[in-house]
Amino acid sequence: MDNNALIKIDKITKVYNMGMTEVYALREITMDVKRNEYLAIMGPSGSGKTTLMSILGCLDSPTSGQYFLENEEVGSMNDNQLAEIRNKRVGFVFQTFNLMPRANCIKNVELPLIYAGVPQEERIERAIKALESVGLGDRMHHKPPELSGGQRQRVAIARALINNPSLIFADEPTGNLDTKTGEEIMHLFYELWKNGNTIILVTHEEDIARHARRIIKLRDGLIIDDYINQNPIYA
Amino acid sequence: MERLLDTIRQAFDSIRSQKLRAFFTLLSIVIGVFAIMFAGSLVTSIDTTVQGQIDALGENTFFIFRIPNIMLGGGDWHKYARRPLINQKVYNSFRDKMGSNVLVTGMAKSAGYVVKHNILATDPDVTLVGTDENYFLTSNYDVQDGRALTKTDIEYKKDVAIIGNDVIVKIFPRENPIGKTIKINNRPYTVIGTLKPKGALLGQSQDNLVILPLSQFLTYFASDWWSDITIIVRAPDKISLSYLIDEAVGSMRIIRNLEPWEENDFEIETNQSLADQFGSLTGFLSYFGFFSGLIALLAAGVGITNIMLITVKERTREIGIRKAVGAKKRWIVSHFIFETITLTMIGGSVGIFFGILAGGLLGILAGTSFVLSIKWIIISLSISLVLGLISGVFPAYRAASLDPVEALRYE
Repeated sequence: MDNNALIKIDKITKVYNMGMTEVYALREITMDVKRNEYLAIMGPSGSGKTTLMSILGCLDSPTSGQYFLENEEVGSMNDNQLAEIRNKRVGFVFQTFNLMPRANCIKNVELPLIYAGVPQEERIERAIKALESVGLGDRMHHKPPELSGGQRQRVAIARALINNPSLIFADEPTGNLDTKTGEEIMHLFYELWKNGNTIILVTHEEDIARHARRIIKLRDGLIIDDYINQNPIYA
Repeated sequence: MERLLDTIRQAFDSIRSQKLRAFFTLLSIVIGVFAIMFAGSLVTSIDTTVQGQIDALGENTFFIFRIPNIMLGGGDWHKYARRPLINQKVYNSFRDKMGSNVLVTGMAKSAGYVVKHNILATDPDVTLVGTDENYFLTSNYDVQDGRALTKTDIEYKKDVAIIGNDVIVKIFPRENPIGKTIKINNRPYTVIGTLKPKGALLGQSQDNLVILPLSQFLTYFASDWWSDITIIVRAPDKISLSYLIDEAVGSMRIIRNLEPWEENDFEIETNQSLADQFGSLTGFLSYFGFFSGLIALLAAGVGITNIMLITVKERTREIGIRKAVGAKKRWIVSHFIFETITLTMIGGSVGIFFGILAGGLLGILAGTSFVLSIKWIIISLSISLVLGLISGVFPAYRAASLDPVEALRYE
C-alpha cells in the first residue's frame, strides 16, 4: 500500500443493530484513494455505498477496522475531532442540496467558515469568491427557494469548496436534477478535478459514474469490482 | 456577536413557525414573571409610601399600646387580651411622670359613626378620634382653617370638633363649616377647625375623621371598660429617644405596679419598629407573589422544554447540515440554549412590562406612590434567564447528540 495515499482503509466493517438482528452494511472493506483521484462508488441501494461515504467523510465511525486520512487514524476519533475534520478537510455535496432555506447564498456558503472561526470579513470575501467560481456571482443574495435546482447544487458545491478541503464527496449530486442541468453540474466536478481536487462520487447511475476515472462497485457491503474507467466523459 | 444575533433571529423564526404553541408558552412565562413583578413593585410602592409617612412623622416619635399594632399569626392573643387597659387615669399619671418638657399626647379612636349637619349625613364610616392639644405636634395632621384643640377644650370637656375633608365634602358641600354645629349620636358639636387633606394611604382615606377632645370622646364614645388610649411621645431629638423610651417603660411599670420579674403589660413601638412590622407584612405579600409566580414559571419551563424539543425535531435536517460542515457539539448546545433564553427573555420582558403597569396602576389606586423597582426588574430578568437555561438544556443536548447521517436524511 502507498504511504502517500490520501485515504487508506483497512478491513472497515459497519454493523447496524436492528433490534434482534445485526445488519452488516460493510464487510471488511480495504482500499486506498490517492490524491487527485476521481473515484465513483457504485452499487444498488442497500449495497453500503452511502455508509462507506459516511465513514470516509467522517460523518460516521466504523464498527471495526482502521481508517487513515492523510496518514492520520480517524476511525477512532471522538465526535469533536471528527467535526473538525469535516470542517477543514472534507466537503459534501448531497442529492437534496441540504442548504438552509432561510439563509441567503453567502450565509449558506460561509457556514463552515463560522465553525472554523474565520472572521466575518474574510468569510464573506471567500464566500463571494467561491460563489463566483461556480458561476453564481449574480445570485449571491438570493435564498435557496428562489434558485433553480442546478443553482442550488452550485451553492452546495461552493460551500463544499470554501475551506479548501482535501477531498470532496458528492452523494448522488444529480439525483434531483434534469439531465441537462445534471450534465452541467458534472462538468463543474470535472473542472474541480482538473484543478487538482480529489472527488469521490457516490451514485447508482452508470452515466454519472462514467465521469469518474476509477470506479468501485459495491454489493452487499463488499467490493465486487474496482477498475480504471478507460473511456471517461470529458476525457 | 454575530452568532448571538443569528440565534435571536432563529428564536423569532421558531416562534413564528409555531405561533399558537409559542403564544401559550410565552403566556405562562408572562403570567409567572407578571406575578413576581407585580407583587414586587406593589410591595416596593407600599414600602416607599410607608417609609414616606414615617419620615413625615419623624423618627423621634414612639408609641405605647396596650397590644401590638400589627400581629402576624396571633398566637399570643390570650396574653394580650388579659392586659389591663390604658385608660384616662393611666394616661394622666404617665403624662405627669414624664414631665412638661416632653411632648406627650393620648389618642383613642373608634370607627363607624354617622356625622350629621342639618339634613345632610355621612355614611356610617367616620372615625372619631379623641385626643388632646399635643396631637397636632406629634401626628402629621395639620389644621387648615380655624384652630386646633387647646388645653382648655380638654379640661372643660368642650363640645368642639375638628373635621376632616371627607366629612366636609359630604355635609358642608357649599358652606364654610367653621362655627357650624354637627351631630354625632345626636350630640351637638361646634366645628372649630378643618384638617388639611392627606389623601389615601393603602386605599384607605385619611380624611374621613372627626377629632374631639379626649375627655369628650372617653365620656360619650367609649365606656369605662373599653377606653384604650394610645400614648404618643415625641422626643426632642434622636439622641434622647432611647433614653426617653427607657424612662417611659419605667414610668409605665411604676403606674402598673409591676414587679421586677414581671413582663411589660404594654407595648412600646417606635415608628421604625412599626415600619419593620409592616415590612414583614409586605414581605409576606412579596413572597406570596414570588412563589405563585415561580409555580407558573415552573409550568412555563415544562412548556418551553416541549416547544424546544419540537423545534429541534423540526430542524433536524438543519442540525445535520451544521454538523456535516463541522459544527461541534458545544456549538449546537449553546445555539439552542441561547435560543431558549431568547424565548424566555421575550416572555419575561412582556411580563415585566405588564407587572410594572399593573403595580403602578394599583399603587395609584391605593394612593401609594409609583415606584419603578429596578431590583425586581433585575430579579425577573434573572429568573427568565435561568428558566431559559434550565428548560433549554435538555432539548439542546438532544439536538447536539443527533447522528449527522440520520439527521441529514430526515424528512
